[in-house]
Amino acid sequence: MSSILKEIEWCPGCGNFGIFKAFRNAVKRLGKDGIEKGRIVVVAGIGCHGKLPDYIDQPSFHTIHGRVLPMLTGIKLANPDLLPVGFSGDGDALNEGMEHFIHAAKRNTDVALFLHNNEVFGLTTGQFTATTPKGRRTRTTPFGNPEDPVNPCLLALISGATFVARGYAGNIKQLEELMYRAILHRGFSFLEILQPCVSFNNTWDLLRENVHEVSPAESFDDALRLVMDRFATGVLFKTEKETFEEILHKNRV
Amino acid sequence: MDINICITGAAGDGVKEAGELCAKLFSELGYYAFVYQEYQSRIRGGHNASIVRVSDKPVHSHRKYYDLLVCLEDYVYRIHEPYVRGDIIYDTKFSCEKGGIGIPMTEIVKEANEPMIFRNAASLGAIAAYYSIDFGVLEDVFVRTFGEKAKDDVVISKAAYDHFLEHHQAKMSVERVGERREVVAGSKAIAEGLIAAGLEYYYAYPMTPASPILHYIIKKRRDIIAYQPESEIAAVNMAIGSAFAGKRSATGTSGGGFALMSESIGMAGMAEVPLLIIEAQRVGPSTGMATYHAQDDLNFVLYPSHGEFPLVVASPYTIEDAYKLSAELMNLAWKYQTPAILLTDKHLVESLQTAELHGAEIEETEIVRSSDGVMKRYELTESGVSRYAVPPAIAKFNSNEHTEYGITTDSAEVRKAMHDKRVRKEKLILEDVRGKGYVEYFKGKEAVVTWGSTFGALYEVVEELGYRLIVIRYLRPLVLPELEKAKVVECNRTGQLAGLLESRGVRVERVLKWDGRPFTPEELREVLG
Repeated sequence: MSSILKEIEWCPGCGNFGIFKAFRNAVKRLGKDGIEKGRIVVVAGIGCHGKLPDYIDQPSFHTIHGRVLPMLTGIKLANPDLLPVGFSGDGDALNEGMEHFIHAAKRNTDVALFLHNNEVFGLTTGQFTATTPKGRRTRTTPFGNPEDPVNPCLLALISGATFVARGYAGNIKQLEELMYRAILHRGFSFLEILQPCVSFNNTWDLLRENVHEVSPAESFDDALRLVMDRFATGVLFKTEKETFEEILHKNRV
Repeated sequence: MDINICITGAAGDGVKEAGELCAKLFSELGYYAFVYQEYQSRIRGGHNASIVRVSDKPVHSHRKYYDLLVCLEDYVYRIHEPYVRGDIIYDTKFSCEKGGIGIPMTEIVKEANEPMIFRNAASLGAIAAYYSIDFGVLEDVFVRTFGEKAKDDVVISKAAYDHFLEHHQAKMSVERVGERREVVAGSKAIAEGLIAAGLEYYYAYPMTPASPILHYIIKKRRDIIAYQPESEIAAVNMAIGSAFAGKRSATGTSGGGFALMSESIGMAGMAEVPLLIIEAQRVGPSTGMATYHAQDDLNFVLYPSHGEFPLVVASPYTIEDAYKLSAELMNLAWKYQTPAILLTDKHLVESLQTAELHGAEIEETEIVRSSDGVMKRYELTESGVSRYAVPPAIAKFNSNEHTEYGITTDSAEVRKAMHDKRVRKEKLILEDVRGKGYVEYFKGKEAVVTWGSTFGALYEVVEELGYRLIVIRYLRPLVLPELEKAKVVECNRTGQLAGLLESRGVRVERVLKWDGRPFTPEELREVLG
């Protein structure tokens, strides 16, 4: 909890509490490694996840809908010493922010993106998003969602992300480990967090029963198969590649 | 001396470069030059024209009628022939019905075994001979421009030069009048102004006519990071991200791209981030005419985003001023932590002029780089300006309404105080720009008011017509001299600056042009005389 704020405004039982706790633990652990808090810069988009910057004592930017990734890229380019971390919702990153998502992964921008995937727009009271399953009834799909959902890990993988992981809001210990590793990974790190929305898509039971941990894929082809299992958690794929920022800074005279 | 040369051909004939080299040829001898580039949105074919005005006095515009037409294609000849008041030089690959001076440019290039684009070098040789300029001067221009690669141009232009003098008489003898002058493109002036004011990061998505600024920064200044991201939305947000991390950054686009940036402009206003945007106008609405000139984005740029926040909008009126003003705006954006927009136009950005760039410099502002705990990034101050802080200082920026610490709030009391704080900065900005809000020339009975590149043609005629000339630089905040009535000259259909003046109680008469072409002095003499 932030030293300057006394109340957290998420619904009781919200998955965000677990995600928040895992992040704070990861930052503490990075602190023990000698990384000062001020270097871990948080950018969040619009949605319930977007309230997170208010609850931390770190440099932050609560930006507009869908634009977390270009801002992270501008930050990292301007000061490569910083560790920019983005929090984004499924609507934020994959509806309005889709173009940025693909390009950030393609560039291998050295930032970490944590996607709160609850398959619904929560803060605007329950409309469908890019990850809402086909057939699901929401406020704007009262006769069932006519679209197939996007698989965020698959998209990150085929777009060129060099670190693809999936966690679950109910497994804080694993989530902390994944966040820690994602922040330290050199290159574009993507972490999808499976999360219930207690108000509009309460999947606690579904997730609890189905999530399971897997070992990282040994090849890209394996990774393609692995990400298709919607409940597989852990680091799914990891590789090394020169980052966008390294290339641009190298080109300077 | 005052000559107006039109070099014309198809896209792909190298007409643009020929115009630039022609200006350099005369500026090498100490003359002033101005080049207007007219071209279509296509890569091959169509028609392109470079109109090169040369004078022994400073010039800021081209003229409508040509003393010399250099023509590389027959169908292009028919478009430009009505404006010829002097001679025609043409490539003998076609026959020119009005006569003229035929130079076998195609043959010369074929003989040298070079691609057809080298006919532009041949045309330069013919121009040099026509004005009896020593060939060595032209050779110097090629070498200074292309370095070692200039050899082919020199051989071809020399062949055309010799052919001209063997078969024709030189028309006039152009003597050296002074030291060599620099020929500068508007795009370069803007880029150099930004750099002088500390630019380190430039992000832009390609859009005519703003692209040359991106090309220039990427190519010439590799100590600056310039990059083309996925869209204008990404460009503006990357610029904001870099400013949040403490580095001076900018983005540039034209009206269509600016429309995409509008939500982020409001965000920079709310989060109090220094943001500089270059908006180079072209004909709108929508895609309009992509390579033609207009000044019809003023109303949009003055109010580009929802909500209320301080915003600076200013427009340079010459290439020299573009250099100064881009630096001024960068400094203002940082001083007041708010968006600033350099509103320019195709005619200024893509034209070239003999110019000396001076008067741009960085004005440093204090930046906090460390803090004990969360700091009051948005501290309520009397001036409205709070300390700017960047990570690793624990500063929290927010696009929502926020407290002094940057925490989201819906509190009526805080909202009112914060909104007042931001808007208070407008007063300071106004005081800051008061002395440079407009420029005045000549004493006359009646005032003519204009903005942007329209100044160039107007400047030439107002004095002889007995007017006083006022050029607006700062459009927001707007600083106006005492005026009861004025003739307002601008390139749009409704009179957008005129409307702004009317709202300030000035009685206006509109003098407008909206066909995609800038005014020429001849046209203005007709409508104002």
